[in-house]
Amino acid sequence: MKRHILSLIGLLMVSAAHAETPDATELLRASDRSRGGIASGITWQIDLQAVEDGETSTRAYLVKAKGNDALAEATAPPRNKGEVMLFNDRTIWFVKPGLRKPVSISARQRLSGEAANGDIASTNYARDYDGAVVGEETVNGQPAWKLELKAKAKNVTYDRIRYWISKDRRLGVKAEFLTVSGDVFKIATFDYGNRMTVDGVELDFVSRMTITDASQPSDITTITFREPKAESHPASLFNINNVGR
Amino acid sequence: MKDAWRLALRNLARNRRRNLATGVAIAFGFAGMMLLGGYAIRIESFLRTNAVYLQRVGHLAIYKEGGLEKASTKPAKYGLDAAEQARVAEVLAAEPEVELTARYLRGVGLAGNGCKSVPFTALGVEPEVEARLLGHPEVQRVSPELARPVRGKPLAEYPAVDGAVALSTGLARLLGKSRIHDEIAGAAPEAGLPDCAAPDATARLAADANVQLAGLTYGGSLSAIDGEIVNVFRTPLAETEDGTLVATLEGLQRLYETDQVTYMAAFLKDDGRAKALAPVLERRLREAGLAVSVYPFDDERISPYYVGSMGMIGSIVLFIGVLVTAVVSLSMLNAMTLTVLERTREIGMFRALGFTRRQMLGLFLREATALTVLALGAGALLGGAVAAAVNAANIRFKPPGISGDMQLLITPTAGLCLTLVAILLPLSLLVTLRAVRRRTRERVVTLLTEAAA
Repeated sequence: MKRHILSLIGLLMVSAAHAETPDATELLRASDRSRGGIASGITWQIDLQAVEDGETSTRAYLVKAKGNDALAEATAPPRNKGEVMLFNDRTIWFVKPGLRKPVSISARQRLSGEAANGDIASTNYARDYDGAVVGEETVNGQPAWKLELKAKAKNVTYDRIRYWISKDRRLGVKAEFLTVSGDVFKIATFDYGNRMTVDGVELDFVSRMTITDASQPSDITTITFREPKAESHPASLFNINNVGR
Repeated sequence: MKDAWRLALRNLARNRRRNLATGVAIAFGFAGMMLLGGYAIRIESFLRTNAVYLQRVGHLAIYKEGGLEKASTKPAKYGLDAAEQARVAEVLAAEPEVELTARYLRGVGLAGNGCKSVPFTALGVEPEVEARLLGHPEVQRVSPELARPVRGKPLAEYPAVDGAVALSTGLARLLGKSRIHDEIAGAAPEAGLPDCAAPDATARLAADANVQLAGLTYGGSLSAIDGEIVNVFRTPLAETEDGTLVATLEGLQRLYETDQVTYMAAFLKDDGRAKALAPVLERRLREAGLAVSVYPFDDERISPYYVGSMGMIGSIVLFIGVLVTAVVSLSMLNAMTLTVLERTREIGMFRALGFTRRQMLGLFLREATALTVLALGAGALLGGAVAAAVNAANIRFKPPGISGDMQLLITPTAGLCLTLVAILLPLSLLVTLRAVRRRTRERVVTLLTEAAA
C-alpha cells in the first residue's frame, strides 16, 4: 500500500514538472523580443569589435528593423560608410555605393570576426527554428531552460543552436552554434543592459553579444547594441529598389 | 659470323607456321604495349599541361611558409606582400632554367546577377602573362581546346574593359549569363534590380554581361565590385566547372582590398627539372630572407588530381605490361622448346662434326634474335599504323573528372619503343637460353640416340 502511495506521489510530481515546462516556441518568441524581434519597428546602433589572431578590427552599423525586415547601414570605418545590408525576410542584399546592382548574400557568411551577417539583424528564432526544451541548467547563476533548435530552412544563419533562456526574465543568455554534424563551432553569451518601451511595455533589450570561436578561444567578437528605441519605419525603407538611391 | 646469321635465318624458315605464330604473339604484344604506353604518355602530358599551365600551378609554386594550407582561411597572414613578391621575382629572374614567372591571387566569394548569387573560387591573373601561358607551344600542342575560351577572347585583349572577368561555363549558366561583352554590342546594363519573378526574367538577366562579385576583404569586411564577362571557358576539372572565375590580378586585389598575392609560379624550360630545382630555389629564396616554401607541380598537395590519376594509370599500365610480357615469354619459351626437341638429332650431328656447345647455343640465340627483331619491327609498324588511324579518326571521349570531352590521341614516343625493345629482346633471349642450354650440354651420343629413339 505504502509503495503504491509513493508511486502515485512520484507520478504526480513528474506530471507537475511536465506541466511547468513551457512551450519552446513561446519561450523563443519572448526571448526574440529582447533581441530585436519586434513587429512594430525598432532602431539601434551596433559597435562590432573583432579580435582575431591578436589583431583588432572595429566597425559600426545603424540598424532599423520592422517585422521580418531589417536594414543595417555601415557608419564606420569611413571607407565602408554608405554600405547597406538589407534583410528581406531571409534574403539579404548587400548594397555598396557605385555598385550597379545589389548582391544577394547569405546570412551565414562571415561579416567580421566571428559574427555572421545574420547576427547583427533582429533575431527571429521562433520563426526560423524548430525548438524543443531539453532540460534545465544554471547559466552564470541564472536558472535557465535549455533548448535545442533546428533550422527550418537552409538560408538561416545557423543549422543548429543550443540555446539557454533564463527562467525568470525569459531572455536568451547563452547560445552554442553547431554544425550539421553537431560540433560546436561558436559560443555566444548575451547581456541585457538596455531597456526600452514597446507598445507601452518596458522590456530588457540586448546590450552585448560576445561570440567566441570554439576552437580558438582567443578569437572573440563583441557586438555592442546601443540606443535601442521603438520607431515606426515605412515599408518602402525595406524595398531593395529604394536602397542606395 | 655472317654464315652463322644466314644459317639462323634459314632455320627460322624451316618451321614457318610455328615461328610465325610466335612472331605474331611478340608483334601484337609489342604493338599493344606501344599503344597503351602511347595513351599513358598522352594522358600524362595532358594532365601535366593542365595542372602546370591551365590550373596555373606552374612547374614550381612558391607560397609563404604555411600558406598552402592556411592561406584560404587567413589570407592576409599567409599571402606574399608587394616587397616579398619583388624579392621572389628577383631570385627567379636570376635562375636560367626559369622561362616565366607569374603572380596569382586566389579567393572566394559570391557572384550575383541581381536576382541570385552563386559561390565562386576566383583566380587573379596578370593578363599579359596569362596570354603568354595560354599561347605557350606546350599548351597549344597538348591542350589547345581547354586553353581557348568557349566564347570571347583572353582577358589581355580587353584592357579598356573595367572589371573584365572570365567565367567557367557552369558558373555563367547558373547566373543566367548566356552572352558575353562582345555579344552585347555596348548595351548598358539594366539599372536596379530586375523583376526576378517576371516571365521575361531569364531574357533580362542575359541582356547584359554584368555581374557583381562580393567577398570578404583581407581586412575582414564585406566588399563588392562590378565585373564584365569578357569570356566563358571550360575548366580543366569537372568539379570546378560550376564555380570558377578568372579576373585580372588588379581587379581581384581591388575586391579583397589588398596588394598581396597568394602564391607565385615559376614556369621552367624543362618539365623534368621541377623536382630537382624545387629545393635549390627554396634554399636560394630563404637565403634572400624569404620564409617561403617551393612545391613542384607533381607534389600531391599541389596537384592531387594529377598525382592521383597518374598513380592509377601507372598501376594499370604496369599490370597489363606484366601480363603482356608473360604471354610473350611463354610463347617464346614454347616455340624454342619445341624447336630444340625437334632438332635434337641436328644438334647431335653438328656436335659430331665439331661444333662446340657455345656455337650451338649461339645458333639458337641468333635464331631467337632474328625472330624477335623481325616481330618487334612488325609490331612497331602495326602499333604506329593503329595509333595513326586512331588519331586520324578524331574519336572523342569524356575522361572521368575532366570537364567536357577530349580527343583520343595515342602518342607513342621513340623512347617508349626503345624501352619496350630493351625489355622484350633480352627477355626473349633469356627464355631461349633457358630452353636450349640444357639440350646443348648433352653428350653427342645421347643426343643422337635419343633422337633416333
